[in-house]
Amino acid sequence: MLKNRSIASSLLLPSAAWLFLFFILPMIGMVIFSFRPDMRGGPFKLGWLPSITHYQNIFTGDIYLPLLWLSVRVAFSVALFATLLAFPLAYFLVFHAGKRSSLYLTLAILPFWTSFLLRIIAWKTILGSNGLINNLLIYLGLVNEPVRILLYSRLAVVVTLVYVWLPFVALPIYASLLRINPSLLEAAAILGASPWRSFFRVTLPLSLPGVIAGFFMVFIPTVGEYITPILVGGTRGSLYGNIIELYFGDGVNWPLGAALSVVMLVGVLIMALLVSRLVDFRRLVS
Amino acid sequence: MPSGELAVLEWAGYEIPEMWADFGKDYPDANVMFNFGASDPDIYGKVLAGSSEDIIHLYTPFLNFYVEEGLIEPLDVSRLKNWDKVPQGFKDACTIDGEVYCVPWDWGYSSILYRTDKIPEGVDSWAALFDSKYAGHISMWDDGPSAVSVGSYIKGYDEQNLTDDQLEEIKQMWIDQRDKNLFYWVDEPALEEAISSGDIWAAYGWNGAFYRLLQAGVPVAYADPTEGRNSWIGQYAISSKSDNYDLALAFLDEKLGQETATHLLVDYAYGHPVPEYFSVVEDPLLIQALSLDDPGILERTNFTVPISSADRDRFTEMWAQVKAAP
Repeated sequence: MLKNRSIASSLLLPSAAWLFLFFILPMIGMVIFSFRPDMRGGPFKLGWLPSITHYQNIFTGDIYLPLLWLSVRVAFSVALFATLLAFPLAYFLVFHAGKRSSLYLTLAILPFWTSFLLRIIAWKTILGSNGLINNLLIYLGLVNEPVRILLYSRLAVVVTLVYVWLPFVALPIYASLLRINPSLLEAAAILGASPWRSFFRVTLPLSLPGVIAGFFMVFIPTVGEYITPILVGGTRGSLYGNIIELYFGDGVNWPLGAALSVVMLVGVLIMALLVSRLVDFRRLVS
Repeated sequence: MPSGELAVLEWAGYEIPEMWADFGKDYPDANVMFNFGASDPDIYGKVLAGSSEDIIHLYTPFLNFYVEEGLIEPLDVSRLKNWDKVPQGFKDACTIDGEVYCVPWDWGYSSILYRTDKIPEGVDSWAALFDSKYAGHISMWDDGPSAVSVGSYIKGYDEQNLTDDQLEEIKQMWIDQRDKNLFYWVDEPALEEAISSGDIWAAYGWNGAFYRLLQAGVPVAYADPTEGRNSWIGQYAISSKSDNYDLALAFLDEKLGQETATHLLVDYAYGHPVPEYFSVVEDPLLIQALSLDDPGILERTNFTVPISSADRDRFTEMWAQVKAAP
């Protein structure tokens, strides 16, 4: 037993070292950096006096927290829509696609062989004023001039992100549906449950771990998203991540950027804890 | 003749031998290496973090930040054979507290680039970027300090001494401008595409984009606003970490040589500080793009002024507030 345990821990070592070097250490660095008053002397300067000015700025200012709250709501809608759309897809693949399910699954994730950036740029040719949708609307005579809200708006950000994340959510749901023992559904049918009833009492609860995993896989990274708003968000599509990027990039104000990141990180963690308190996942599944 | 190794922290495109032709000819034994940065903040961040190239290619208004941090050396201009060919305005842009810290090299304008078919009445003021007539067809560059410059030109404020109230006023101008502005552009190709397609009628733009759109036959003009155009200057400075000062100084000097200048003007369509070389430009579109036929243009131009890092933080925060405003 002891030997097994030492084998297990030695197998764990590379990933632990990797995470420590490239995740934990930078994270600690970021927290430390967020207390630096400014960038004077370069990032590796020692002997500066810690200050909480950036946190004061964030919590007393009227822009950062409302924007974070907005980004949370955007991320929530993106994750919700992506999950709602992904569930029928995964359900179809598992229960109705039969032999072709792996082919369809491959087709569904095929776009992911193209870079994230390229796929977002492709959306500009779909949503743009000379784009596919506008040309179709004009051709059908439904509008006289291009509808501009399609691109360069917060709506465009949500639409694009839902598209980007859809297959990512479908995969864990697919896996959890696949694990459902068909005899449970048979038993439900034999005991007189209607198809809807057996769906809500058997299939859905058993797939919840996949659904919840998929939801959070989208929700968490989307809170800090910044590329999509830059490309399709226009002047009113900025999210919290764009402000962090602004301070780390053009603004050369890493301490404020770091403080904003810490606030986001802690905020998302608190929310995740609250959700896991309110919803007892284990009870949902059992 | 000094030889040895030189490392240059450069923007992609300027590493090709044509862009330092004179140095290559005069110092065949020197080994020049290039590392790259993607933007001014990126390059500044690298140098600040301890990157140790001998030479840094930076742009106004970043010079002051390097000087504040002691990252670059003053230049002994008496040893530069080409220094006297440089006009005073360009020399001034390299001078801080009486010390010269850089050799000016590539330069160009920022002004309003507009579609002549959509705006037949023409544009004669920076206020065009705020004009409701062009709502939904305007694009500003995604850059806080430039947004402050434009606001200051329109209001007649001194960019280097903006009060909080003045900055607040400029912020409000840009917040109100948002619904007229289709998107803030980040890279030139995206802007040029939007101007070609007719989505954008008026934009903050550089003369390189103007030149390429002219070449592509797009009906565009480049405004000469009453408040004056803005002009930016690319500058070469020597890192205070360099242990090859003499060779680095020679590299900077040779950047002002004629062959190098010709390649910059003709191959890349950017301006060079030495006016006596301008005669090599024969392409009428390029003459138009650089306004080489208008000797008074530089007097009417607002060169990008140095700002302090404290102001940089204020301006960035203003821009963040514009973007985050509900």
